Amino acid sequence: MAWIDDLIREGEKSVDEVEVFYVEGTSVSADLKQKKVNLATTSRDCGLGIRTIHKGRIGSSSTNDPARWRDCLAAAVASGHLATPQAWNGLPEPAPLPASPLSFDPSLVCDPAICRDLLAQMLEGASGHTAEVTAGSAALSVSTATLANSHGIRYGGQYSGASLSLEAIERQSTGYEFDHVCFMEDLNPHRVGEQAAFFASRSADGKDIPTGDYPVVLSPIAYAELLGNVLVPALNGRSVHSGRSRLAPLVGQTIADPRICMYDDPLRPRAAGSTWWDAEGTPTRRTDFIRDGVLLGFAYDLKTAYRYGKESTGSAVRGGFGGLPAIGHHNFIVDGERDDILDERIVYVHNVVGAHTANPMSGDFSVELSNAFWMEDGKFEEPIRSAMMSGNVFDMHKEIAGLSRESRAVGSLILPSVKLNKQHIIGK
Amino acid sequence: MAGVNYYDLRHVTGQVTHIDIDNGVVESAGTSFFNKAVLRVLDRTGWGILQIDNYTPCTGRKFDELIVSAQKLARITEQPVELGEVPHGILPVPPMKEDPRTVSIEEKSSLLAGIEDAARHPLVTNRRANYIERIEQVRFEDSSGSEYRYEICRSGFNVLAVASRNGNVQMGYEREHTIHGFDLRHRQESGKKAADTAVALLDAGAVKGGKMRAVLDPELAGVFAHEAVGHASEGDLIQEGNSVLKGRTGEKIGGEILTIVDDPSLHEFGFCPVDAEGTAVVRTEIISRGVISAFLHCRESLAAVGNGIAGHARAMPGEPPLVRMSNTFIENGDATREEIFSECRNGIFLAGSRGGQVDPGRGIFQFNAEYGYLVENGECTKMIRDVSLSGEILSTLHSITLCGNDRKMSPGYCGKGGQSVPVSDGAPHVLLLDAVVGGHGVD
Repeated sequence: MAWIDDLIREGEKSVDEVEVFYVEGTSVSADLKQKKVNLATTSRDCGLGIRTIHKGRIGSSSTNDPARWRDCLAAAVASGHLATPQAWNGLPEPAPLPASPLSFDPSLVCDPAICRDLLAQMLEGASGHTAEVTAGSAALSVSTATLANSHGIRYGGQYSGASLSLEAIERQSTGYEFDHVCFMEDLNPHRVGEQAAFFASRSADGKDIPTGDYPVVLSPIAYAELLGNVLVPALNGRSVHSGRSRLAPLVGQTIADPRICMYDDPLRPRAAGSTWWDAEGTPTRRTDFIRDGVLLGFAYDLKTAYRYGKESTGSAVRGGFGGLPAIGHHNFIVDGERDDILDERIVYVHNVVGAHTANPMSGDFSVELSNAFWMEDGKFEEPIRSAMMSGNVFDMHKEIAGLSRESRAVGSLILPSVKLNKQHIIGK
Repeated sequence: MAGVNYYDLRHVTGQVTHIDIDNGVVESAGTSFFNKAVLRVLDRTGWGILQIDNYTPCTGRKFDELIVSAQKLARITEQPVELGEVPHGILPVPPMKEDPRTVSIEEKSSLLAGIEDAARHPLVTNRRANYIERIEQVRFEDSSGSEYRYEICRSGFNVLAVASRNGNVQMGYEREHTIHGFDLRHRQESGKKAADTAVALLDAGAVKGGKMRAVLDPELAGVFAHEAVGHASEGDLIQEGNSVLKGRTGEKIGGEILTIVDDPSLHEFGFCPVDAEGTAVVRTEIISRGVISAFLHCRESLAAVGNGIAGHARAMPGEPPLVRMSNTFIENGDATREEIFSECRNGIFLAGSRGGQVDPGRGIFQFNAEYGYLVENGECTKMIRDVSLSGEILSTLHSITLCGNDRKMSPGYCGKGGQSVPVSDGAPHVLLLDAVVGGHGVD
């Protein structure tokens, strides 16, 4: 792509450094309305994000029209004039990185007929339960990304993804299941359909639960909702240094049960967020946030690292097509000693409603339970009709009583079920 | 085109200007631009949809080729789709008091910095202010010959203050977004209010969960209307069988005083001059005096379900339309604020919103207040923080027993199917008996 070199040369006439990120992708999807395929969609997307750095002033702009790169470059340079200058030691130099993609399936083809077959397999999986399917979706995508900068970085990446979801209902009980993988062979449409219908059917005719404190197991989905809305953002270096994180003063202290470890593993084969380089071209590596319950540190991109005298942890990510880099994570993993956590009578919470309304600063939350059950010896017993659960995401981590043996990916988080000895539940 | 029953094309170009100021530092500021289109073709058995980046308007053979590609996609669909007959037409976009394009980004940045600076306080550890201005040029055409064009500018700001003391971290948040033009002047009060809220919350108590009487402020009562009624009345969910309101038209689910409306024609943040399928927009009374009266529809759900009004299809640029709310509100009643508090007597007053969520099939919703006060003998006393409410659609509406006469709309964004669209929600002050409040405070 010669225009990217032209863009960098043109930009260098007015600024110290230029960074270009260009992504092109194709996707196809098909949606169910009840049990029939109602629509099929294809999309071709592209995104161009430009950053310019001049005497510590960072400018940026983006567009989805690469033919307008000159306008986009001019907008980035103009934006730099407004930014407050900061300490800056340069964009990364090229590093010898493997060219083979970590999470790309060359056999994945964006074909609507494959989407139709995936939907049919989900429906087949759902048919073993009495719940009715209300909606579903199957989507396939491939994309290529190019990162280039003034120091000669020219990295290319290839990505593939397949996503499934199914919704089902039995009277006033709903069930939902989903999956997102990079490789077709990791996809299990039958299981997605079966689980969605199972939860809808099995949760029907639930009973109320009296208000009180209960031993609770949060499924990876419920746990991811609370973790992703509160604790993960509090590990963002920018939030930490600008006074938006409760964890800021706690490095070196025990903030979770000693069995808990949390880290970002960008090099995990087959995982959806895996990459050799981050959104700014910094080579990626494992970053440990919490080890044995002790807070070790935070996530940084170049901008935040330069400003606060830290080192980039390779944690820059881009949101969406042509999004600009910001601190995030690639594959956020919760790990630690695993156990049989379902050996006593507990309240099993499959999902929650309203986790995004948790207070991201204090960590306080109260959410409605979704597909909650009394569970004994790992078996689903009586469903719980409706109740709220209240607590504090930060404090909750000190009370963790066990992690399940299995983990699953929920978005960019990979995590087990967690057992909590005393969670406050408000009955109705 | 053989087999094509209908097509429409929605092409949106535009630009987004943003400014982000964090603790006095201009983190980023600038403009990005986009060009996106979506072409929908209704074939014999369903929709084929092309999402196209950088669309160049075309006619003749080139356009026919696009139709054929969409038609090919539709081959995997399985069920004939009918489209309801709808009125077409477009409303004028209200003129802006001051066009943000006439204000330099330097001036915008300095005005925003003033708002951010007004959040200074010895206990405030972080101040952050964002400005966002989005201008869209929309062009719609369909196979029946309807064609509409309009331009709309939405702009506004958010300001966040974080207060911290001995490990207790609290936040205050204010936002103003509008379709009426540039709105950053003389707004420092918002920064101060965010700081005052954050600092006051440091001394607020946690509420003890349980059932109690609650007075909701207009913003929170608006979110209640949106979550408890709005989503469940969306025609696509009714069609899928994923709403507890399905088949309940004419049923009484609330008191005489309760009327809930979605009105895309209202000049609030969710205003739509025409919907995303070219249908004329009109006020739709979802609940009239306690009775389920009309569902919100697109053309497909209108034909499949009926019992409602089309004109509620909305889409992000380049995305297929979905049935969505626009400006959703509880109508004014005749109670005064004083009467509502006196009737509440002992309970809680809840204000502001951090959003909510609903499971429409199950009929259960949750939403969250930014802060509140205990109400004792009709008076607000101790401040409380982090209060969530949950409720059941089919029973909770009966517990709204008083509606005030002071309706106010608040702007926001609503997510569905991966798309986020501008909306506003509003209500007067309302009294809710038997509210289920989540909290882990102790006596």
